[in-house]
Amino acid sequence: MILINGNLAVVKGAIKSGCGFFGGYPITPASSIMEEIAKDGIKLMQMEDEIASINCAIGASLSGKKAMTATSGPGFSLMQEAVGYAHMIEQPLVIVNVQRVGPATGMPTKPSQGDIMQAKYGSHGDYCPLVFYPNSVSELYEYAIKSFNCAEEAEMPVVLLSDAYLANLYETVNLDIDIGIVNRKLEPVGNGARHYTGLSHQRNSPKPQNPRQYKSFIDRIFKKTYVIAKKHADYEYTGKKDSDTLIVAYGCVSRFLSGLKKKYAFFRPIRMWPFLKKELGKIAKNYKKVVVVEMNNGQYRREVERVIRKRLYFFRVLGGEINIPKISRGIRRIKCKATSLYSK
Amino acid sequence: MQGYLSLLKIKRLPTTWCPGCGNGLVIKALIQVMESNNLNKKNTVIVSGIGCVGRTTGYLKLDSIHTLHGRAIPVAEGIKTANPKLNVFVVSGDGDLLAIGGNHLLHASRRKTNIKVICVNNRIYGMTGGQASPATPKKTVTTTTPKGNEFEEINTQAIVTSNKNFFARSTVFHLDHLKKMIKKSLENKDFSFIEVISNCYPGYGKKLGFTSNYEMLMDFKKKFENQKNKSILKKNELGFLK
Repeated sequence: MILINGNLAVVKGAIKSGCGFFGGYPITPASSIMEEIAKDGIKLMQMEDEIASINCAIGASLSGKKAMTATSGPGFSLMQEAVGYAHMIEQPLVIVNVQRVGPATGMPTKPSQGDIMQAKYGSHGDYCPLVFYPNSVSELYEYAIKSFNCAEEAEMPVVLLSDAYLANLYETVNLDIDIGIVNRKLEPVGNGARHYTGLSHQRNSPKPQNPRQYKSFIDRIFKKTYVIAKKHADYEYTGKKDSDTLIVAYGCVSRFLSGLKKKYAFFRPIRMWPFLKKELGKIAKNYKKVVVVEMNNGQYRREVERVIRKRLYFFRVLGGEINIPKISRGIRRIKCKATSLYSK
Repeated sequence: MQGYLSLLKIKRLPTTWCPGCGNGLVIKALIQVMESNNLNKKNTVIVSGIGCVGRTTGYLKLDSIHTLHGRAIPVAEGIKTANPKLNVFVVSGDGDLLAIGGNHLLHASRRKTNIKVICVNNRIYGMTGGQASPATPKKTVTTTTPKGNEFEEINTQAIVTSNKNFFARSTVFHLDHLKKMIKKSLENKDFSFIEVISNCYPGYGKKLGFTSNYEMLMDFKKKFENQKNKSILKKNELGFLK
């Protein structure tokens, strides 16, 4: 057991998984990940920007190393094109996004959950990402390892979400957990005549004009993700399960609201994307009221609404202002009339 | 010709390029140098960006990476850093390496990663239809500069040599010279940059009054001269600096 913060837990997880390369660019609140990597002897390349960071990580991954990069919202936006590229050439990669308040420079030191949709839909075109969002330091350690495993199994980039709160939160972590490590199966470059291209392709040759080939590619990458995602349908269903209210919260918000567990049922998705449709659907059926609390203006809430097929109650936590009494007062006052989509 | 075909994916021919394009000559020079220096698919990786030249990698029997627009250099650096035993080549165009990838070029030359960058400079964005690139000379009429380009062309030589890196300039007409320059870059253990002046008749030459690719090549013959032991290369001088 050691006492570490969230960012260091990610690094410990990466080391445990056998990560061999880190490409990065300093950004609050993710910088300390790169600093810790520098101490630990993993090959580190500090690049000129986030675009170069993710691209050199892709290069290292092609060279046979388990590669990762870590950033925050603004950097994640810059990386998006390369995220799509990594999906296209099907290279394993782990991207850690320590979220802060946006858009633009926003509030760099404050936690936020504003990149939920960016993690899913950020790059252009269709792809199916796998995204995890733990809510404690020990879980960050565990899911850093799982992210590497999933990336290797599915041969695609995996996003590990964190936030400014978890990044700086100190907790005790047991580093000797029993998770198998998935090793690299792909043959590194420099040993054949393969062609890795961002163009739609088939067997090493570009096919940019062939719709049938493109459709089969899209079907394949979606199916691939769902197969891996099924193994990691991770969520937490706790609290007072026989109450009439279900609170859906994830990441750091689920930590703040843990005091309400005595009164309400709690659902916390850990695998954010693909959405836990079946699991949440089954649980939400038993509750009269479903409340979503998140640190953005309602990104995940729409997904939840789409799945449970009824109006729900929504509380937002904006600008990193965590006011627990206000939220609990709000939940107490809910009558059976659901809020409309754009109301407060 | 012997051996020239061994690194070429013949099944993928014909190429996507216009007849008479200089890219074919660059491939030829590159393959012949690789042959003579024992570079093969066991020890060499080639990376390219987007554009006409970017398609080069797909025709070579090597592990080849066709990256995003402008990102060939960081990917190559990642490959080289993760596996320093590999010989890593970057082949891309002026728009890709000097405009969108300009920042990466600047910093890769600062970091002195041992990659060989071959920049095929046709002075125009060829694939998108003849827009002005950073390497387009002043006063040139292009589709995006109908009144003539108002800016000076980029001084790549200064960027690369400011960190005492290998810089060479050649043209697709001077094929033997080009091969010599690529060979020279292999002797160098730092970041190396080879600027290859190329011809693009449909995108660039047509507007300047040339009537064919052949005429453009003959123009290279007339205009460029080989220089030795120079500390700086003028615009129409070929040679290398170290």
